[in-house]
This record gives sequence, structure tokens and C-alpha cells, in this order.
Amino acid sequence: MKLYDQIFDVVKKFKKLFSPGPVTNADVSGSLTAEIFIIVSIVIASLLLRHISVLLAGLVTLILAVVLITSIPLIPKFKIEQEDSLNKMLFYAIITLGLIAVFLYWGGLLV
Amino acid sequence: MNELIPLMVIVPMMAALLLSAFSKYEKFIRILALVVAICLPIIPLLSNYGLHYFGGYQPMTDNVTNIIYHPAITYSFNFMQQIFIGMIGLLTFLVVFIYLTKYKNVSGPYLFLLFMGTAAVTALLLTDDIFHMFVFFEILALAQVGIVAASSIDYSYEMALKYMILGSIGSPIMLLGIGFLLAITGTVNVTDIVAIIRGGLIDATSPVFLLSLGLIFFGWLYASGLPPFHTIKSGIYSKAEPHGAALLQSFTVISMISIVLIMFRIYSTLPIFEVLIVLFSVIAMILGVSMALTQTDFRRMIGFLAVGELGFIGLGIGLGTQFAITAGLFQALNEIVITALLFIGFGAIVNATNEVDTRKLGGLLAYHPKVGIMLLVGGLAMAGVPPLSGFQSKLMLVQASLSCGFPELSILAIMVSIATFVVFVKTFYSMFLSPKPHDLEVVDKDVPKAMVFAMFVLLVVIIALGLFPDVVTSGISNYVGGLLL
Repeated sequence: MKLYDQIFDVVKKFKKLFSPGPVTNADVSGSLTAEIFIIVSIVIASLLLRHISVLLAGLVTLILAVVLITSIPLIPKFKIEQEDSLNKMLFYAIITLGLIAVFLYWGGLLV
Repeated sequence: MNELIPLMVIVPMMAALLLSAFSKYEKFIRILALVVAICLPIIPLLSNYGLHYFGGYQPMTDNVTNIIYHPAITYSFNFMQQIFIGMIGLLTFLVVFIYLTKYKNVSGPYLFLLFMGTAAVTALLLTDDIFHMFVFFEILALAQVGIVAASSIDYSYEMALKYMILGSIGSPIMLLGIGFLLAITGTVNVTDIVAIIRGGLIDATSPVFLLSLGLIFFGWLYASGLPPFHTIKSGIYSKAEPHGAALLQSFTVISMISIVLIMFRIYSTLPIFEVLIVLFSVIAMILGVSMALTQTDFRRMIGFLAVGELGFIGLGIGLGTQFAITAGLFQALNEIVITALLFIGFGAIVNATNEVDTRKLGGLLAYHPKVGIMLLVGGLAMAGVPPLSGFQSKLMLVQASLSCGFPELSILAIMVSIATFVVFVKTFYSMFLSPKPHDLEVVDKDVPKAMVFAMFVLLVVIIALGLFPDVVTSGISNYVGGLLL
């Protein structure tokens, strides 16, 4: 029942996501779809690491799957991080620039 | 008639200046705007393929290295440019037509922004000069800010300001990258830069060259609205007038492909360039569609979907084969048309109901059946349902990623298409099929005829491209083949 309670808790949290205003069946279904979509797509995307190392891909995929499933609901967290706040937009812009620099500096064989 | 090549930029730019200068003369600017808007899709159809050297400075050969240098700013016009400039011209005509028929008092400065944006994206497509590209990229960014700020939607000023502030980071960083490139190659002409790199005159793994890639790539992320700029990009679409948003998204798509094609020519020797493009495209696809699924404002929903679709374009270009890049460019063309149809169609609903929240809408199919059906077909095209244009390009992308040895990307692309379908079905049901809420007043039963006309034209293009994709893809494929030589 623990997993069921966790999923039910997710649905309850979605209600807050749409406040103010009524929460319709379609909205909650959409958010649940988004929740499943984001977990599955990140896990599948992590499989691309097999081009670097099969062991690494296996490990990362398993770890990601466990971490993502145990930390549901993800969508409210994603939504908060992607709101129209200039501070957050600037933060992620700078982080991205840093990541690009890291990729280029430690790109190894790719460079 | 290569003289027509520069006219593709000069005509909308001159029109923009005249419309702004004579904005007091209402009748004059109406006629001028309409005439120029009609000319825009015609000029690329009449022009011959070829090169145009500004100032008449012909290429020169270096006797020592045998490299041909281009001292002039060069415009290159080919099938790919023709089809995209023609499509942007058609869209500008439709948007200007909607604007002129919708408002009794038209604004010269607003028309200035629309035409200046069109001129800028046309120049981006044509230019073979990386600094010239940056100048028009800046003009385009300012025109986009203006189009959003000029809309009458709440908080549009705030969103435009945020976009400008983020632009003040993205643009100088791109300029810095171009500066580094100029420093090591001594030229800003893209063909010359490519010749220098391929001739082995500079080390492609040198830190300065890699730094220029990183900086220009970051600027490209801002121009194309890929993460981390997807939030602001979807935000500006939702705060612009619907016809303005239709044009804004096409500007984004064009700036994305034109800059990335230049980058591809320069940096394709570095495998990390393609890895970076695929990485950010996958993130855009995942974030764009998952965010669209949770939206209740349908303008914002289309904005996020548009960002997700950009990921498909990036995916095609990132895979780097002739077939994949062709698929990516075909997807770009389809996205321009499909998203424009959706923005205009949903704009018609805003016009009729003054409501953007899907929870407060319902039963609209009884009031606006034409708009409803055209929106349905547009949504299905975006989701990749056969035999519409979106299906053809997405099928090509799935085939391309499979043939490149990345079945994961194929699965992701199919999943994103399914999720897009879910988004659209959910929204369409809420707005058109669910019972009409008691408190919903349909204020204006007649949707502007210009909007219906524009949707119909775009729908014909979607169906035609879906049934006869070879008309476009064979020409694009030839262009890409030349690019990869």
C-alpha cells in the first residue's frame, strides 16, 4: 500500500499545481501523463551513455530509475523551476554556459 | 536576375522604415503594407539561384595557399533559402493581412517591427558572413521584444523586458565567440573560415577555437529558445498577439536553422558539436512537452509545444547525416506552418471568448466549427498523424536516428509525438467538446474572416506537404549534400 499511498499523494499535490481555479479530470490526467513521460524519457535518454560505456549506461539507468520513481511527484518541482522568474532563468542560463565549458574542456575523445 | 537576392532583405526593410516614418498617414501605410506583404512571397519565387556580392567585390585567390577569399558580404541563394524565405513571406503576408483587417487604426511602428523581423530572418538565411549574421540576429531580437511589448496582453511588457535582459547575456556572448573566431582565422566570411579549417591552417582542437564554439553555441541556444531559454521563449509567445506569436515562432525557427547551419559548416569536424546539439534537443523535447501537458493557458501550452518541436529540428541536424539534416530542415518548415496555424486558430478563440484558461472553456465546436476542425487537423499534424506534413518529417527523423545507430532517440521521438497528441486531445476536448460552462460568454460569434482565411491557406500547405513531401525534401537534400561535401 505504500506505493499506492505515494501515487495518491501525487494526485493530491497536483491539485495545488492548478490552484487557483478548479481542477478537472483532464488536468490531473495530463499531469500524470507528464509525470510518467518525464521518468520514462529521462531513463531512455540515459541509455545513450552506452556509446561511452555499457557498464556506465546500465548503472546510471538503474540509479536514475530508482531515484526518479522514489521522488515522485516530479512535475511540481519541474514546474517551479521553470516558472517566469527572471532569477531562475538567469541562474539556469549561467549554469548552462558553465556546463558547455565543462563539456568542451573535458570532452576527451569527442573534441 | 541575381539583383533580386538583396531585394529580399531590402524590400521589407525599406517598407519598415517608410511605414514608421509615415505612420500618421493611415491609408498610405495600409496600402504600402499590403502591397509589400504580397510582394514578399513572390520575390524569392522569381529570383534565380546564385550569389550576390555586396559592393561588387569579387572573390580573390591567394596565390600561396590557393584559397579563394571573399572580401564582400556575400548572400547565397539556393533552393533551401527559396523555400524558407517564400514560406516566411507567405506567413508575413497572412499576419499583416490579419492585422490590417482586424484593427480600425493600424500602427506604423508595429508594422515596422513585423517587416523588420522578416527582413532580419531573410538576411540570416541568405548571409555567408558570420558578423552580418550577428547584426541581423540582434535586429531580430529587438524586433521580437517590440512585437511582444506592443501587444495589449497583460504583463507583455514584463515578459519583453525579461527577454531583453536574457538577450543582453546571450547576444554579447555570441559576439565574443565570433570575435575569437575572427582572431584565429582573420575573416568573418563563413566559406573562407571553412576553407581555412579544412586546409589545416588552424588547429580545430585549439582552446580558442573550442571557446568560440562554446560561446556561439550559447548564443544559438538563446536565439532558438532551446533550454535554458525555453521558458522565456514560450512566455513571449503567450504574451504576444496571436498573429504576432505566429510570426515570432517562425522567426525563432528560422534563426535556429540559419545559425546552426553556419555553425555546422564551421564546427562539424568536432564530434562534440553534434553531441551538444543532440543533448540540448533531447532536453528541449522532454521539457517542452512535459510542461505543455501541465498548462491550463492554451497559448502557453502551444508555446511549450513549439519549444518541444524545436528539439526535433535539432535532433535531425545533430545526427549530422544528409538524410537526418534534410529531415530536420523539413521538420523546421512544417513547424513554421503548423504552429502558425495553431497560434492563429487559438487566437481566434481568444477573440471570441476573451478567455485563455482551458478549464473555463467548453462547447466551442457548436459556435466555431470551422476553426475547431482546422485546429484539430493542425494539432494532428503537429502530433505526427498521417498523412499530414508533420508525420512525414517525424517519420524521416525516426528513420534517420535508427539508421545512425540511435534507437533510443527514435523511441524518444515517438514518445514525444504521442505526448504531443495527448496534449492536443486534452486541450481540444476541454475547449471544443466538453459541456459549455454556464458563465462562459461567447462575446463575438464571428471569428475574423481574415483569420479563417489564413488558417485555410496554412492548412492547404500542411496537407500538400504531407501528400507530396518530395517536392521539398529532394531540393533540401541536394542542398544538404552540397553542405556536407
